[in-house]
Amino acid sequence: MAYKMNRRGIVKGIAASTLAVPFINLRAATAQSGPIPIGVVTPLSGPVQLIGNFVRHGAEIGAAHVNDNGGINGRPIELVFRDSKANPNDASVAARELVGSGTNLQLGTISSAVALAMGPLLESEGGVVITTGAGTEKINHENYNPHVFRVGDSPVSRNAGLVRHIVESRPDLRKWGGIIPDHEYGRTTWKIFEATMRKAVPEMTGEEAEIAEPILVPYGSGDYRNYIAQAMRMDVQGIYTSVYGGDAVTLYQQAKPFGLFDKIDVLLDSANEFLVATAMGDQTPAHWSGFHWYYEANKGNPLSDDLYAKYVEATGDTYPMGWAAEAHAAVLAYAGAIEKAGSTETDDVIAGLKGLRFDSATGERHIRAEDNQAVKNAELAYIEPSSTAPAGFEVTDYVSLDGEKVVEPARPGQMLDTSNL
Amino acid sequence: MYDVGMTVFNGLAWAMATFLVAAGLTLIFGILHILNFAHGGFFMIGAYVSYTVMIALGGALPLWLYLIGAMVAGVVVGLLGWAVDMLVFRRLRDVDDAYSLIATYALLLLCGGVVQLIWGLNYLGVMPPPVLNSVIFLGDMFMPTYTIFIILCGVLVYVGLELFIAKSQTGRLIRVVAADPWMAQLLGLNVKRIYLFTVILSFALAGLAGGLLMPNQSLSPELGGIFLLQAFGVIILGGMGSIRGAFLAAIVLGLIESFGVYFFPQYPGIFFLLALAIILLIKPEGIMGREQTA
Repeated sequence: MAYKMNRRGIVKGIAASTLAVPFINLRAATAQSGPIPIGVVTPLSGPVQLIGNFVRHGAEIGAAHVNDNGGINGRPIELVFRDSKANPNDASVAARELVGSGTNLQLGTISSAVALAMGPLLESEGGVVITTGAGTEKINHENYNPHVFRVGDSPVSRNAGLVRHIVESRPDLRKWGGIIPDHEYGRTTWKIFEATMRKAVPEMTGEEAEIAEPILVPYGSGDYRNYIAQAMRMDVQGIYTSVYGGDAVTLYQQAKPFGLFDKIDVLLDSANEFLVATAMGDQTPAHWSGFHWYYEANKGNPLSDDLYAKYVEATGDTYPMGWAAEAHAAVLAYAGAIEKAGSTETDDVIAGLKGLRFDSATGERHIRAEDNQAVKNAELAYIEPSSTAPAGFEVTDYVSLDGEKVVEPARPGQMLDTSNL
Repeated sequence: MYDVGMTVFNGLAWAMATFLVAAGLTLIFGILHILNFAHGGFFMIGAYVSYTVMIALGGALPLWLYLIGAMVAGVVVGLLGWAVDMLVFRRLRDVDDAYSLIATYALLLLCGGVVQLIWGLNYLGVMPPPVLNSVIFLGDMFMPTYTIFIILCGVLVYVGLELFIAKSQTGRLIRVVAADPWMAQLLGLNVKRIYLFTVILSFALAGLAGGLLMPNQSLSPELGGIFLLQAFGVIILGGMGSIRGAFLAAIVLGLIESFGVYFFPQYPGIFFLLALAIILLIKPEGIMGREQTA
């Protein structure tokens, strides 16, 4: 059989090759020399851009730190940003495009839905992602995937830590209620809160905890008065809430005139860090909030001090929030894993990340080899309104709890077992 | 009794907050037949303008300054309405509805971008003026004064609009143009000017609503969408373009939402949508139909 080559055939061949170029995996070309690209797929627009900005700054400061110290085996890190819009579809397109262009190492996921979508996608595409704030427990339990890592605290360490601290510091409080968002994250956090409270109170006091049915509130509502009226009917001493962001600000603002916060002794806020306090200023209700990273709790740690100083310098904002530290830690984890593995290939980096111990803005973290979950300190701060502080609020107490004592046992592939929290 | 009273009170609060946003939306639809997706965006800008006025004047303001802030928001957004009519709405009058939807949706996105550029991404919030930041007890019932104020504002805006449309010369002209713009033009009315006035009034109502509802509401570029779905539900159920219909629909939906949450707390936020669907199945033209336009 003879093949005849003509001009039209050559043109077709060149055109086909040109079209195929973007789909050819370029990793081989970039794997061993030049800058190491790390994709940051995070919300850079849309409703969650506020959080995405923390991730962006944290990753940039982390990369600058590594590069200023000689890079990874002499190679600098180069961050490649893509907008996930906190949406699984957009994030998947961005992640796939990055892997296709040679950026197999990624970070920046803050949405649970995106984190859950990334596992199967990156497994098939040959990439790896480190999440920097995604709250679902499923990524290290029933939806565990070896290509997804979490360098931040699991929802268990955050919420169980919050409960254990409160039970130890206020053993007199036995009656609890909750206001939680009516979606998967809200129900998960409540499950952890309730299980830990039912265990910790008897351990501490010898008496049973009384826990009311939680009040479920819709996402993105402008009016929470009906739910606040329900909360006013509860006979409780403390309220736990995992209502988040703008919803939390609206809820707190509307609850204040009802006197809800005067009626209870303690308000536990799962994760708002300074989001509520910076919005409400001196009208902020006193509350304990969980933090990914609270810089005052880490003063003296050079990584934390450097992160705080550079963040303030870059933004002028003196209240950085913990997502910045999680992105910072993700960059440092990649640096440690690549150095350990001596390679940027996905399988080698996964092997390097598993069991990795590395320094971060919250002290040493280690990533469990079994379920890719980091063990890190759980940080909590007590925020109170203040008539003297310029921002109208101040942190009057904080704790940093040993991660080993609050993280759940590794159970990859299995649902969270609340009986052993 | 306490529970029923509180549930009705909260339902009315939901209703009047939603009506304040929906009033301008239904007015513009009644006259120009434009489903203005950008209404939520201009409501949001009104809230931010009012916030800026409040902060510039020192934060916790007396009631009269808070009201002035809300009115400034109404004026600023009304002027934006003038610009939007000149630049956008005039070009949409003779084109298919789909173009209006796309254009107003683009305007909504633009509003979000403008807010982000001027005020940033951080959540912002202010509390009501001190006089409205208290609670009135009626037996076992506790009613925040700010919520009572919002209910009164909703009623006042409704009564004012009804009187304006029914009794004033301009209101009558608006009704004529709404009923038959072609005939109104033949009779020598300046239809273009009446359209412009309606747009400015509608936008000013959005700005005023933003200014009035701004305390007790977190401000962020997401705010534009928060009341929009409720407001659309209210004007659809009320009969597109009917102010009276929107007012009644807001009360009906507010009470259903409130009692729904009371009886079935495990299903928050669905009763408004459920009621809307069921009532429209029974009465697809809405409560007032089309005969009450504007």
